[in-house]
Amino acid sequence: MDTPFEPRILAFLCNWCSYAGADLAGVSRFQYPPNIRVIRVMCSGTVSPHHVIRAFQKGADGVLVAGCHIGDCHYIKGNYMTLKRMDFLAGLIAFSGYQPERLRLEWISSAEGVKFAEVIREFTEKIRALGPAPGWAAVPLAVGA
Amino acid sequence: MIDKTTVSPKDAIGSVMVVGGGIAGVQAALDLADSGYFVHLVEKTSAIGGAMSALDKTFPTDDCAM
Amino acid sequence: MADVVDVAGQAGRFAVKVFQRARYIDMDKCIACGTCAEKCPRKVPDEYNSGLAKRKAAYVKFPQAVPLKYVIDKDHCIYFEKGKCRACEKFCPTNAVNFDEQDRELSLEVGSIVLALGSEHYNPETYDIYGYAASPNVVTGMEFERILSSGGPFEGHLVRPSDHQEPRRIAWIQCVGSRDPHHCGNGYCSSVCCMYAIKEAALAKEHAGPDLDAAIFFMDMRTPGKEFEKYYNRARDEKGVRFIRSRPHKVEPLPDSGNLMVHFTTAEGRVLQEEFDLVVLSIGLQTSPETVALAGRLDIELNSDRFAHTSPFRPVQTSRPGIFVCGAFQAPKDIPVSVMEASAAAAECGELLAAVRGSRVKQVVEPTERDISAEDPRIGVFVCNCGTNIGGVVAVPEVAAYARALPHVAFVEENLFTCSQDTQDKMKEMIREHNLNRIVVAACSPRTHEALFQQTIKEAGLNKYLFEMANIRNQDSWVHQSMPEAATQKAKDLVRMAVAKVGLQQPLAEFQLGVSKSALVVGGGIAGMEAALSLATRGYPATLLEKGSALGGHGLELHAAWDGQPVAPYLNDLIGRVQNHRDIEVLLNAEVEEVQGFVGNFRTTVQAGGKTREVAHGVAIIAVGGRSLEPEEYGRGQSDRIFVNLELDRAISRQDPLVAGARCAAFIQCVGSREPQRPYCSRVCCSHSIENALRLKALNPEMDVFILYRDIRTFGSRENLYRQARAQGVVFIQFSLESKPVVAVTDGGKLQITVQDPVLQHPLVIAPDILTLASAVVSHDTDPLAKQFKVPINAEGFFLEAHMKLRPVDFATDGVFVAGLAHYPKPIEECIAQAKAAASRAATVLARDSIMAGGVVALIHKELCCGCQACLQCCPFGAISYLEQESRCEVNQALCKGCGTCAATCPSEAISLLGFSHLQLYTQIDEALSA
Repeated sequence: MDTPFEPRILAFLCNWCSYAGADLAGVSRFQYPPNIRVIRVMCSGTVSPHHVIRAFQKGADGVLVAGCHIGDCHYIKGNYMTLKRMDFLAGLIAFSGYQPERLRLEWISSAEGVKFAEVIREFTEKIRALGPAPGWAAVPLAVGA
Repeated sequence: MIDKTTVSPKDAIGSVMVVGGGIAGVQAALDLADSGYFVHLVEKTSAIGGAMSALDKTFPTDDCAM
Repeated sequence: MADVVDVAGQAGRFAVKVFQRARYIDMDKCIACGTCAEKCPRKVPDEYNSGLAKRKAAYVKFPQAVPLKYVIDKDHCIYFEKGKCRACEKFCPTNAVNFDEQDRELSLEVGSIVLALGSEHYNPETYDIYGYAASPNVVTGMEFERILSSGGPFEGHLVRPSDHQEPRRIAWIQCVGSRDPHHCGNGYCSSVCCMYAIKEAALAKEHAGPDLDAAIFFMDMRTPGKEFEKYYNRARDEKGVRFIRSRPHKVEPLPDSGNLMVHFTTAEGRVLQEEFDLVVLSIGLQTSPETVALAGRLDIELNSDRFAHTSPFRPVQTSRPGIFVCGAFQAPKDIPVSVMEASAAAAECGELLAAVRGSRVKQVVEPTERDISAEDPRIGVFVCNCGTNIGGVVAVPEVAAYARALPHVAFVEENLFTCSQDTQDKMKEMIREHNLNRIVVAACSPRTHEALFQQTIKEAGLNKYLFEMANIRNQDSWVHQSMPEAATQKAKDLVRMAVAKVGLQQPLAEFQLGVSKSALVVGGGIAGMEAALSLATRGYPATLLEKGSALGGHGLELHAAWDGQPVAPYLNDLIGRVQNHRDIEVLLNAEVEEVQGFVGNFRTTVQAGGKTREVAHGVAIIAVGGRSLEPEEYGRGQSDRIFVNLELDRAISRQDPLVAGARCAAFIQCVGSREPQRPYCSRVCCSHSIENALRLKALNPEMDVFILYRDIRTFGSRENLYRQARAQGVVFIQFSLESKPVVAVTDGGKLQITVQDPVLQHPLVIAPDILTLASAVVSHDTDPLAKQFKVPINAEGFFLEAHMKLRPVDFATDGVFVAGLAHYPKPIEECIAQAKAAASRAATVLARDSIMAGGVVALIHKELCCGCQACLQCCPFGAISYLEQESRCEVNQALCKGCGTCAATCPSEAISLLGFSHLQLYTQIDEALSA
């Protein structure tokens, strides 16, 4: 029998809101599926399209980028950049014939432990339904400095 | 401020005793130590933390008291 | 382990005798291994767990205790009782036990004293109508805290003491040992019990699921603090906690079942009973006999409620100069107000001892940093069990074994608590012994513990940035409790990611920047003036901005403090002292135009009296105040007989004929407060109305006075006013948000109020000669200032502090502080305490000669930069400039806050956010997906 598909999801969480929201979900013991791996970034604005594409290239089935609510950014307007970039990136992903719903952008505050757990549950189920991501190997890997 | 219940400013001693090692005492001690005073913190039990350390979580944010 | 015996001398120079009891364990030798406790044969009820668990006579107070050193309880030790045993001494691996240690008396010389003596919990056996002694299933609120706690007697499983079964119905009974002068002698309100009961009920529901019946029996629900009302609303509306307005008169233990019958009388006067599995008594706070005795030895005056006597205008000054008070010994209170007062007490000490600042402190020697540039990564990994918080789900030994096999890992250790003091010492030791140059801690969250571990590795000679945490508790064991295998796999992945990232980390330089030793205070009301004066008294010049044409703010409109002391003499004196202080510059008709810079080095453009100027300052205190809401209901504006409280203050003072001639007066509470559009309590209005009701009664004892209220919130000793008002015949009528009173103004100008009588259950009509609306305290338009200082405000426009409990006057933005009504509605004494607290926190910045910058900041690799300036446009802090000559961009590291937006924007990845470089992010991505 085949083992059931377990999605691999990468989450970029901003340090001040969404990472804290994830911590609060823990403090509150809200349970969610163990499919995500979190990378803590100072601001969701630190996440470049290259980072997201890299994740897909390396086999992520879904990528979550989460930051402070618009207006609440610790760095005032970093998340506006995120919004613009992820919007653009979703278009680019669709243009490349990839499923744009594999990229998700969420605003989760440090007080929203419930929301964090819900988003992870929902997104995991959604990716599970979409099935394993097709490879995205055509683009050469970025090098990084 | 200057009256017979107070020594002249230059004769004062630059250290402070804080009695009680609960959250209030600890905060007072930290502020004083961070602003140039030597602090003697006197606590009756074997550890600081006071009542707050026995709380499970704190309102209204439900942060862990520890 | 010490008590104050005696204090002699005067403010500025006290001689103190302190009695220090022997610990019988050498603090330098004890490694907190716990062997002494394990071998100790004597079991004692554990005070820390409210007696619900046992500890040994050799013990540590709690697992996270500071200092984490054991102690021998002389009163229960078998050796001290019978002269033999000494098992602990025999087995102690470090020979730390020393039965020869003697108690000793110390003499200290100090300039001032802060009393933070706290309170004790009321013992419900004092007047036991609630079956506390008779049934193990009647517990106090403190005992219930321990029951809920994962470190408590039942490891966080919500069970009742008698049979360790999960309760399905829990009752909370409020005001046990509070608001009851007759039976327990505590007439005051303990101020914290309503909130802790709501919290416990909500947490109990989280533990046991929504089917748990949680019922709170209360007289008045008192949630008059910041965000408290929303918490109450959520517990009631979303979590389904039942709130029953009633007074239980008896709790009857039922035979066999161990259940409890609660007998109570409802607000409508019906006598009912309900059965529960567990009853929690919301016990109050009181001053302990030991504290009363100490106050006597120190010659400190207590008030009638046995708290330290203070004046609203000097809220932390005791009756003896040079001795200050804070926390629950001043009055029963919650954590944020305690913390605020603690900082205020520190400010008072700083003012008193300004001339001798620094005379008794030793200079801290910064540890020298080891140069690791030539070393290959040698990574140490510490995996924490967090008691059972992590180890109970994640297979910690397996994770540790996995870590050992990762590249560059030179040392791995498991800890029970990696954050404990002894593990910190051990970590330093291991760094030296194994020549480690990078550290990974797999434990809780970097948001709470990164700073602690960074300090530790710094003390061991490592650059503090050579550190990474893997969050295997908050984001793993706690959220995958029923999936130990998946959680363990996730922990391994997180450790692998952290190890890979830290391996690429280089030391980050920090550099020193000077500090402008002066403050900008925005707002010339009581809070702003007190803050400016406190700093100026300590020798730090302040510029005080007031947008109006005179100092005084909202205080000018106030008649008296809650205890009846007039405000005007105090305020006039304060204004005089501020205006005459040589280190305070007052700018009237002034507003902030632009704020540049950062902690220690702000440059603010100010518009004052039509002129623009720049102020350089090291810190800023925001104290812009608030205002009274102009009501739009209850007939306001239709009659000159309808006042708000501030108008009534003045009308009573000048014996306005409308007031002096009135035969009937009414007050309506919560006008604009606790409404859907303004879901907060304004904190001051209940006391204010009751004060004015008493003043009306003093004016004319025959006057009928009605107060229409939702909950009377006379916290602390204000409860005495409430009792006094009832004794003098003021009639209190309770109404709910759903059936608010209706006010009609007749053609003849007469007032008529119709309100549902809660006891008689039919409409009651009152025809008062005057009506006073207790209108809400609201914020000014704070949005522009918040944006200028880059600090947050909440939905109601009040400034939002860095941490609701522990940093009540700080902002997340360094060097900016908040005080007064701009933070939340509050009475004068709290405004003053908060202003002094803000000054104290500001002084911790101004006392330094330099502050550190650098660390996690962006760096442009010039050889990769093409000069496109995309980064320059996206930087929120204006930290990037374009160098024309080189056609390259450059980051000012002092202005850079480290968000990394520029790094993600740069099309050629020429910008690195140090500590989060592209290479590190790519590596983390790769490692996350490599398993």
